Amino acid sequence: MSKEMMPPGKRCQKKACFSLQALLILLLLSLLSPLRGLAQPALSPKELKRLSVEELLNIEVTLVSRTPEKLTEAASAIQVITGEDIRRSGATHLAEALRLVANLQVAQLSSSVWIISARGFNNVFANKLLVMIDGRTVYTPLYGGVLWEQQHALLEDIDRIEVVSGPGGTLWGANAVNGVINIITKSAKRTEGLYASVAGGDFINNMEALRYGGKIGDRISYRLFGKHFSRDATASATASNNHDAWTMTEAGFRVDWDPTLKDAVTIEGELYAGKRKTLPLASASNGQNLMARWSRTFSPRSDMSLQLYYDRYLRKDAPTASSDMINTVDADFQNHFRIKSQDLIWGMGYRFVKDDAHFDIAAGAGIVPRFKRLDLFTAFVQDEIHLVDSLRLIAGTKLLHNEYTGWEWQPSVRLAWTSHYQTIWAAVSRAVRTPSRFDVDYFLPMTPQPPTVPSVAGGPNFMSEKLMAYELGYRVQPNKVSSFSFAAFYNVYKDVYSVEPLPGTLTYQIQNGSEGRSWGIELAGGYEISKRWRLRTGYTYLDKNIHAKPGHNFDPSYLANDVRNNLMLQSILDLPLHLQLDVVARHLDGLGKTFATAKVPVYNTADARLAWANKGFELSVVGQNIGQKNHTEFGTYFIPRSFYVKLNARF
Amino acid sequence: MSRGRDHIKFVELGRKMILLLFFLYTSHAPSAQPSRADQVKAAFLYNFTQFVDWPANAFTGNTFVIGILGNDPFGDYLEALVKNEKVNGRSIVVQRYSGVGEIKNCQLLFINNGNSTAAIKALAKKNILTVGDDINFAREGGMIRFFIENNKIRLQINLTAAREAGLSISSKLLRVSEVIENE
Repeated sequence: MSKEMMPPGKRCQKKACFSLQALLILLLLSLLSPLRGLAQPALSPKELKRLSVEELLNIEVTLVSRTPEKLTEAASAIQVITGEDIRRSGATHLAEALRLVANLQVAQLSSSVWIISARGFNNVFANKLLVMIDGRTVYTPLYGGVLWEQQHALLEDIDRIEVVSGPGGTLWGANAVNGVINIITKSAKRTEGLYASVAGGDFINNMEALRYGGKIGDRISYRLFGKHFSRDATASATASNNHDAWTMTEAGFRVDWDPTLKDAVTIEGELYAGKRKTLPLASASNGQNLMARWSRTFSPRSDMSLQLYYDRYLRKDAPTASSDMINTVDADFQNHFRIKSQDLIWGMGYRFVKDDAHFDIAAGAGIVPRFKRLDLFTAFVQDEIHLVDSLRLIAGTKLLHNEYTGWEWQPSVRLAWTSHYQTIWAAVSRAVRTPSRFDVDYFLPMTPQPPTVPSVAGGPNFMSEKLMAYELGYRVQPNKVSSFSFAAFYNVYKDVYSVEPLPGTLTYQIQNGSEGRSWGIELAGGYEISKRWRLRTGYTYLDKNIHAKPGHNFDPSYLANDVRNNLMLQSILDLPLHLQLDVVARHLDGLGKTFATAKVPVYNTADARLAWANKGFELSVVGQNIGQKNHTEFGTYFIPRSFYVKLNARF
Repeated sequence: MSRGRDHIKFVELGRKMILLLFFLYTSHAPSAQPSRADQVKAAFLYNFTQFVDWPANAFTGNTFVIGILGNDPFGDYLEALVKNEKVNGRSIVVQRYSGVGEIKNCQLLFINNGNSTAAIKALAKKNILTVGDDINFAREGGMIRFFIENNKIRLQINLTAAREAGLSISSKLLRVSEVIENE
């Protein structure tokens, strides 16, 4: 994989100070909170009163979490981006959409590579986040991170993205150390009709999407979609550009079937193929996946779901003549029921992964052995107990068995007090980041070397990295138009990655020689000033102290290129004459130089979108990263200011 | 073009934008539009009139009154929904109250005043079907609580409280609800 860091180069300097002023003013504005209604597509009263009670109970009413609680009652640092927020932001890729919450640090490294993390440890192989698309886990067991350039979804059809910062290991998977990103697409019931869009610009060379959704009988809805894009190269300080342009084509479908009022079946799949420009030859990648989920509601007190998926990807890297192909089969079962004042959820899962990491000897570093089977077995149980009227205790644990370290457990205890649209919560959780192939099977060079020759010889004794997280949060929805949340955390990491020589040799091994602490706060607010104007904002402060354990000799600072202050404001405004004016402004502190990564200066920038939308047609002009001619977010590739024009139609 | 000039232009653009935003903020009066959840809740309120039996002495006129105590999340939507609808020959009307004391003739009351406990206490055994969505609403003696689970509205019914108020709730409604009975 050619994700190695580049030497520091020339940087852009001037920063625009306007966005900070604007943010402050708008933040102040958001504190004024008159009581007004939320703007959502209306169901006509006539339609609605004809429905039976069962049908009313089946209407999807909110844009909040999949967990059985209202967002205001959620006892975790969850933030939600709705499909509408994304469409109005001008984002052209899932990774760009994730800039809409400030509890994530999104850094674009090159035209096709994004590095995304929550609560720290941002680096090229950022590996402490669990990411799912419609329940399908998409981080790669190769290095525990997400290849964002291979994650696709038609942004038009995204229902919401839930971002939980903090450990989610008890309910979710083994990688949910610092956060969980749950990307959820709309049910096919809600995407009937035709959607077509074409776009072109100076960085997005062209971008097209087509979707058709329909019904078969009363109970089956489906959609078919395809998309294609071609993106330009980022700018270089020394050469004409970085030769990192890329193209991608994707096709997919989703079927939703309600065989009975109590059952729901979803089947979806996609195929994609693309090419990243690399020198001297381009690097191809492709992938396929297929997912089926059956859920049954036994009663309002009890339900279950069973999910199966298959996922395969192949990612080639031409310059190093290497490739990685992973086949995954995953089965998950979960059951939820209530007894008296207790809410119990439990489940189990099995994942089979076959990795073919093919690295050419000439590439230098590589993964040995080439083929590896990784079995993962998981089981979890969580009980939510209503102690007294407004007080809930939520306790549970996940148990998992993985190829490298055997059994691991991830318990958490939460206490939540909810009253009148507000919740105060506190949590203590343990989470583990189980080893990936990059931790255990990484060799440089790939052939055994004598102790007198410098080499890296894998991590035969690498253990899971461990986290104890202490969290405190408050969320409130004082009225129908505003919401606010606050979370504070203190994380203690043990047995973190290091690379150290065996005593008296030049043979380096990957070990667990680092440790550290991190702490910070996260704020988020939403405010609907009027039916026509809505604001969302977020701010994160993060600080940390990571270092080698006593008796170890390693500098882990390059593992955590984290911004200290991260501020985001999104404004969504409907103007007269069918016009829309939308802005996403953001401020990110700079990153210090480490021995492996470049310094990144602080930057303020914004995306702006002006659109005319009428009768199913929409014409928009979007400027991305308009704060300066270009800027770096990680490494030395310059992300340019860019513009595109997009025309779309919905029928 | 130099970066410095770009910078100045951008600041200018920003200032203009903020001015424009303020202008819009002060220049138009928004109208209320209930959220999807509130629309569905309104439909449920109407449905309850069909699935609950009130004793004859619960009525003092020829109307069936749906009351809203406190903040009204439904706006005109509820009126539009119950327009021309009847309960056993009685036309449905919607009334709004700011305090419990104002409630005289009311059969179904949506309580949304931030202190449902006091209202529930004051109205217990008065032949009024009390509906709310505070987390402890049904536990504290309210009859039907709306809550949201998996993005859908769910109902929690305190059967004891309804019985004590002389109301009889259809088994059709109970079947799809979470029922709690006080021991």
